[in-house]
Amino acid sequence: MIPFDATLTAEAADLLNREAYLLDRRQWDDWIALYAEDAVYWAPAFASDDEMTDDPDNDVSLLYMDRNGLEARIFRIESGDSYASDPLPWTAHLVTNILVTDIRGDQIDVSASWLVHSFKRIYGSIQRGGLYDYTLRREAAGLRIARKKIMVFDDRITGPLDIYNI
Amino acid sequence: MEKKTLGAKGAACDPASYIDDRPGDGVFRLRRAVYGDPAVFEAELDRIFGRCWNYICHESQITAPGDYFATRIGRHPIFVIRGDDGAPRGFYDSCAHRGTRLTRRRKGNARTLTCRYHGWCFNAEGRCTLVRGGDEGYTREAMAALDTDLRPIAGLDVYKGFVFGCLDDAAGSLGDFLGDVRPFIDLIADQSPQGMEVLRGDSTYMMKANWKLQTENSTDGYHVASVHRNFATTLGYREQISGADGMAKTEASRILDLHNIGSGGYDLAGGHMINWSDRGNPRAAPLWDSRDELLKHHSEGKVRWLVERGQTVTVFPNLLLNDVASTCIRQWRPLAPDLTEIDTWCLAPIGEGAEQRRARIRKYEDFFFPSSLAVPDDVSAMEGAHDGSLAGGGWSEFALSRHTMIDGPDDAARELGVNVRTSNPGRESETPFYSFYREWLRRMERP
Repeated sequence: MIPFDATLTAEAADLLNREAYLLDRRQWDDWIALYAEDAVYWAPAFASDDEMTDDPDNDVSLLYMDRNGLEARIFRIESGDSYASDPLPWTAHLVTNILVTDIRGDQIDVSASWLVHSFKRIYGSIQRGGLYDYTLRREAAGLRIARKKIMVFDDRITGPLDIYNI
Repeated sequence: MEKKTLGAKGAACDPASYIDDRPGDGVFRLRRAVYGDPAVFEAELDRIFGRCWNYICHESQITAPGDYFATRIGRHPIFVIRGDDGAPRGFYDSCAHRGTRLTRRRKGNARTLTCRYHGWCFNAEGRCTLVRGGDEGYTREAMAALDTDLRPIAGLDVYKGFVFGCLDDAAGSLGDFLGDVRPFIDLIADQSPQGMEVLRGDSTYMMKANWKLQTENSTDGYHVASVHRNFATTLGYREQISGADGMAKTEASRILDLHNIGSGGYDLAGGHMINWSDRGNPRAAPLWDSRDELLKHHSEGKVRWLVERGQTVTVFPNLLLNDVASTCIRQWRPLAPDLTEIDTWCLAPIGEGAEQRRARIRKYEDFFFPSSLAVPDDVSAMEGAHDGSLAGGGWSEFALSRHTMIDGPDDAARELGVNVRTSNPGRESETPFYSFYREWLRRMERP
C-alpha cells in the first residue's frame, strides 16, 4: 500500500461519494458519466462459502458489464416496464474506509467498504454490504471510473440486486 | 365416509377441494387458497417432498472422493458425499450421537466428517470411525447397542449426471418417477459427448411466494411476452448501442414475436411439463457450432431440438432445466407457505470453446440471477400472484388455449420420437399445468 496522500485521497473520496449521491438521487445520466468509455463493472458471485468467482470468462458473475451494459440497466429502470423496478426502492449508500491502495501511471486503485440500506414496501428494509475495488483513471475532465469490482457479501438475496442497490 | 384430513396441529386440509378438474365439462380450476393455506403446506412437506424424488445436485459438483453437497429435502437437512469407491451416497445431515449437522459448508471435501459438537467421526460411506472417549464412556455392551453409523436417506440415484434423492422407501425407481420427462432432460444432458458441468458461481435468492407459483411460472409461456417484454427491449437497446453481432447477439426477439416463431407446451404426465419455442436466431446460440458433432451422436430430429429450439423442462415438483436464454438448473425449496428459497446454476458442455463459454455465461447473467434482467421481474410477478391469491374466495382458471389442446404428440414431439400426454401449439397455453396439479392431487390424496 502506498503512503498517505491527502490530496489524492480527498479526490478519490469525492468521486466515490459523488457516485453514491447520484445513485441515491437517481440521477442516472450524471452517474454513468462518471464511468470511462471502456469501463468494466463487475460483481462476482460466490464460488463457495469461502471464495468468490475470479474469472469472468469461465465463471458466472452476478454482474459483468461494459458501459453499454450499464446504459441498458438505465434503459430498463426508466422504461417503467420492469415489474421488479417499478417502484424502485429508496436507497442510501454508505461508502467508507476509502483508501488509495496503489498508483499505476494515470490509474489509481481505491478500496472502500459499503453498506446500502434500501426500502420497498413489499420487502421492508434491506441491508446489504461488501467491499469495492475501484480503478480510477485521470482523464482530461478529471478522474473517471475505469473499473469497479463490487463484492456483495450477501447470498440468499431478497428482492432484485441491481446497479442502484449495491 | 370419513373425510380425509391432513396437516399439522389438527389443521384440516381436503386436497380435492382445491382443484376443480372436470375434463368432460372443459373445466380446470384451482382454488387460490392452495398457495397460502398453512395446512396445505404442512401436508405437502410430507406427501409431496417427503415421498417423491428430489433433485440434489449435479455430479460435476462432487467429482472427487469426499466431495459433498449439502441441501434439504423438505425440512430435512441431507447431504450427498462421494465415497472412496467413487459412488455417491446420501445421508441425513445429522450426527448419530445427538443429531448435530455435520457438513461445514454447502459444498466441500471431507474424507472424514468430524462432528464439531462432541467429536464423533464418520467416513464417506457413513460408517462411524471414532466415538471420542468411547472406551471409557460406554461399557462394551452399551457401545454395541449404540447405533453409531449415519442414517442413509431412502434412495439416491443419478440420471444423466443429475443426482436425485428421496426419503421414502416406497418411492419406486427414479426412472419410473421421471418417466416421459427423460428425453427432455436428455436435451440438456446430451449437449456434449464429453458431458456437462456446473460452472463456478452460483446464487441463492428468496421469494415471498408459495413454491407452486415457481413451478407454474417455469412452464408458463404466457407471461413471457408481458413480464419479459422489458428483457427483450432492454437487450434490443443494448445490441443496438453495442453493434453486437455473432454469438454476442441474443435471441430476445423471440419473446416479442408470437406469431412467426413455432412453440408449444406438453403435459408429460407424472407432474412433469414443458414449454418450448423455436430459437429466433439459432446461430446466436452457443451450441450452434457443435451441430455437426452432435449429428454424429444423435438423430436429426433430436439435433433440431438441441440447436434450434429452446425449452423449459419442469420436473415435478421443484426442478427446472431451462435451455432458452442460456442453460440453467434451478431448484426451489419450500420454507413456509409464503417463502421459497431458490438456487440457480449454469450448466455448460464440457470442452466447449472459449467464445461459446463466454457467450453462454453472459447470456446466463442476463437472465437467470437475482441480479439479471429477467428473474427479478419473474419473482415480482410471483410475489404479486401470491399476495393477490390471499384475496378471499378466488379461483384461477387454467383455460388458456384449452380448445387447441390435442391428445398425444404434435409434429415437434414426433420429431423427437417422444411420448406426451397432451400437446398444445403455441407457448401461450395453460394446459401443461394439468400435469402438475393432477400429480399434486394424486400424491396429496394418498394416505
